[in-house]
Amino acid sequence: MISRNFTFELKIKTNQSMKISVIPFLVFFLPFYIFSQNTISGSVTDNNGTPIIGANVYLDGSYDGTSSDDNGKFSFTTSETGTQTLTASYVSFEPFKLTDDISKMKNLKIVLRDDVNSLETVTISAGSFSAGDNSKISVLKPLDIVTTASALGDFVGALQTLPGTTTVAEDGRLFVRGGDAGETQIFIDGIRVFTPYSPTTNNVPTRGRYSPFLFDGITFSTGGYSAEYGQALSSVLLLNTIDEPTQKKTDIAIMSVGGGLGHTEKWEKSSLSLNASYINLAPYIAILPDRNDWQKPFQTASGEAVFRQKIGDGLLKVYGAFDTTNFELTQEDINQPDGIHFKLNNKNFYTNTSFSEILDNNWTIFAGGSYTYGNTKVGIDAADINDVENSAHFKLKLKKSFSNRFKLNFGAEQFITDFNENYEEPNFAAKLGFNNSISAAFTEADIIFSRKLALKLGVRGEYSKLFQEFTVSPRASFAYKTGKSSQLSLAYGDFFQQPENEILKFTDNVEAQHTQHYIMNYQYSANKRIFRAEVYRKQYSNLVTYNETMPDANSVFTNNGDGYAQGLDLFWRDNESIKNVEYWVSYSYLDTKRKYKNFPIEATPNFANTHNFSLVAKYWINDWKSQIGFSYEYGSGRTYTDLNEPGFLQKKTRGYNSVSLNWAYLLSQQKILYFSINNAFAFKNVNGYQYANAPDANGNFARRELRPAADQFFFVGFFWTISDDGKDNQLDNL
Amino acid sequence: MQNLITYVTLFFTALVMQAQTEITGTTVSGPTKYQLGMQKAFQLWQEDKSWDAANTFERIATAETDNWLPPYYVAQINVINSFTEKDPAKLKAQLDKAQDFINDATAISKDNPDLLVLQAQLYTAWIVFDGQQYGMTYSGKATELYNKALALAPDNPRMILAKAEWDMGGAKYFGQSVEPFCKDLQRAIDLFATFKPAAEFYPTYGEERAKQIQAESCK
Repeated sequence: MISRNFTFELKIKTNQSMKISVIPFLVFFLPFYIFSQNTISGSVTDNNGTPIIGANVYLDGSYDGTSSDDNGKFSFTTSETGTQTLTASYVSFEPFKLTDDISKMKNLKIVLRDDVNSLETVTISAGSFSAGDNSKISVLKPLDIVTTASALGDFVGALQTLPGTTTVAEDGRLFVRGGDAGETQIFIDGIRVFTPYSPTTNNVPTRGRYSPFLFDGITFSTGGYSAEYGQALSSVLLLNTIDEPTQKKTDIAIMSVGGGLGHTEKWEKSSLSLNASYINLAPYIAILPDRNDWQKPFQTASGEAVFRQKIGDGLLKVYGAFDTTNFELTQEDINQPDGIHFKLNNKNFYTNTSFSEILDNNWTIFAGGSYTYGNTKVGIDAADINDVENSAHFKLKLKKSFSNRFKLNFGAEQFITDFNENYEEPNFAAKLGFNNSISAAFTEADIIFSRKLALKLGVRGEYSKLFQEFTVSPRASFAYKTGKSSQLSLAYGDFFQQPENEILKFTDNVEAQHTQHYIMNYQYSANKRIFRAEVYRKQYSNLVTYNETMPDANSVFTNNGDGYAQGLDLFWRDNESIKNVEYWVSYSYLDTKRKYKNFPIEATPNFANTHNFSLVAKYWINDWKSQIGFSYEYGSGRTYTDLNEPGFLQKKTRGYNSVSLNWAYLLSQQKILYFSINNAFAFKNVNGYQYANAPDANGNFARRELRPAADQFFFVGFFWTISDDGKDNQLDNL
Repeated sequence: MQNLITYVTLFFTALVMQAQTEITGTTVSGPTKYQLGMQKAFQLWQEDKSWDAANTFERIATAETDNWLPPYYVAQINVINSFTEKDPAKLKAQLDKAQDFINDATAISKDNPDLLVLQAQLYTAWIVFDGQQYGMTYSGKATELYNKALALAPDNPRMILAKAEWDMGGAKYFGQSVEPFCKDLQRAIDLFATFKPAAEFYPTYGEERAKQIQAESCK
């Protein structure tokens, strides 16, 4: 009997003609059934009272419901009785739920709240640039990291085309907003990298040690970053490794400077990627000699392995990298007619292990650690220096998502460094070193009030065992959406960093150095175009000073240094206006002075300049299956001290100019031919001047130009990928 | 490199659901609530009211928590409609919703080739929207899913078609012959002739599309 009623009820709802004939029957025989038919009605609107058309309104677990009409109104009948849950949902709004007695569900006024997990929600953008799939607004895309003409496959090189960075061509590291390279820290999966750059000599730029194709998300923050990150005065670069490689494949690279071999194996719940490369510049230098007199040209061998394993809802990643580099050369020096003999032998091992898992009740746990072993043997003329660094970092982090609108992060971490140096000359020897340990804890809350307003508040505490010093760094950032496509962000933060190894090996009688950042950012993003403008002020204090040209064990160290940096950064990217062309333009204005190290007065250091400009463009030619890349970089002159005139860092070099071109040609889906040339027009760039220690007979200090080892660099490579599907290639590996 | 991945054709535009109007397996007591609900949803879809159809499937999904078909169709409608969506915010919201329902359906039915193909199509929607941003990651993932789906159901014409179409897109882009895939297409068409869905309301689309591609590319 019951099942029969059930069937009738459905027919009433689905068949009008049936309804007419069946109702009298039901009225007559089954009055109790009619009484249990309830009508649920009301309207659905958004926050502003605008009707939502097509919202799905229904009783959970029943078939009863409807879509709201053109006026946002809805009405449907149900045979359900008693207390039920009514759901109203519409894409990009948070679902609404009401649990009540059905008889009360009449003339409901349902207001759906915006789902803040939406592209339209404001993002805190002050200070940070994102690249990769994960971010809402990426200034760089994954391919850009490796197809930027001037970058030569170095992820650091691609970031140097963003505003806020300074062109220090002979160095190759990141110099951010008047800070030196040591003020930027690099993290892989949230874990610190202690020795991120390959060693090099002083007129050849360095490169990032790690191959860019391991990463699928990069965040580059030029200030005001999260409380999770410390020990960086100016900037952090966050690299996230790929969680799951797409497929099994083998990569082969044959290049004018060496070769590489990579293989990825994939199983049901785990994967392993192996990568080996060997670079030797001897043949290149034999054909195109540079300004250095190489006894043993640069060679490096490296191997990397990444293992990933899914464990339940968790993911374990183990990353290991080993590389060894050596070279030997004689470099020109104005004080030594025979030049300075320099040799280097470096071995570096880095491992990074992390585990993350989503737990019940919206908790997420992350635990990770890294260990670095670095051994650098340097010979400068008769002196032999042997450095051994053992460093480790451990981090435990928990995240609780109370709702889409409120999230809390907190954690603790430990940094340990053991550094030893043996210095030997024929008549002198010394042992230096230090043992450093820093403990830190942080907590941070993300509060999204609405799609228009978001706030991030955090605080970080650090204790240095070496200095017996405790520091507290508050961090805050705020974002407000000013229009459909534009937003304004503000950020403030306190940042502490211990002095570098070169100081700590002589003294522990110093304190952490300190900066404060104030940042205001405007961002406009629509139709594949992004415009960003950012003004900032950075206040330095507690910078380390010493009283001799080069610090040594007898120097007097203080924390009396200070300084400032302020400026404007502009960025424009357009992927839309010109067919098959993507380009971006960056400009930075920087005003900075500081008194630190052995500066007699406050001055602009030689790694900072006033204007930096870069233009990067990529043009895809479909008929040729080719991408042509272009990049132009300009940096205004950098300071140097002219010993023939009074003053300190009082002069500036000429500006730096470089145009780089590349061409990637797809021979077939899996074979790519690649050419590139840096500084194609061979601009003569001068990075600075070296003055003689003593004046000549006329009382004049002679000088020589500090030029890059080579004005230009040419590169040819052939990249071949072998995979089951025959589609993958190494475009993202270039 | 923005065009590198746009070789992925808009194969969805032609993917018109063959609405399933007749109800099989009707019992003496008449069609069940489930059968009537699904029938209603397909009818709405056929009347071009795809969002109403999606809402109906969604309601059925809340009631039929151990049936993968209702969430599958919610996801499919969201994915198909994403191919013509130009507003990035809306696109993301729709694809997020589709992903949620694919996840729900996958929790009910693991290693289901139709769900794997739908997941691949979701990735394709991202690639079509912005190849430079999503192409590299998602095309590899999609390829893997098509391969896996075909391995699970080697004689299912829809899986053969899906993989052949994906491979033909790649070959066309690189100016290579699509000829090697025409035999796969023919095989799919032959199999469609005798194809019987595993059960009521199971996906049946694909035959028209296969013939269309054959006519266009395999003369």
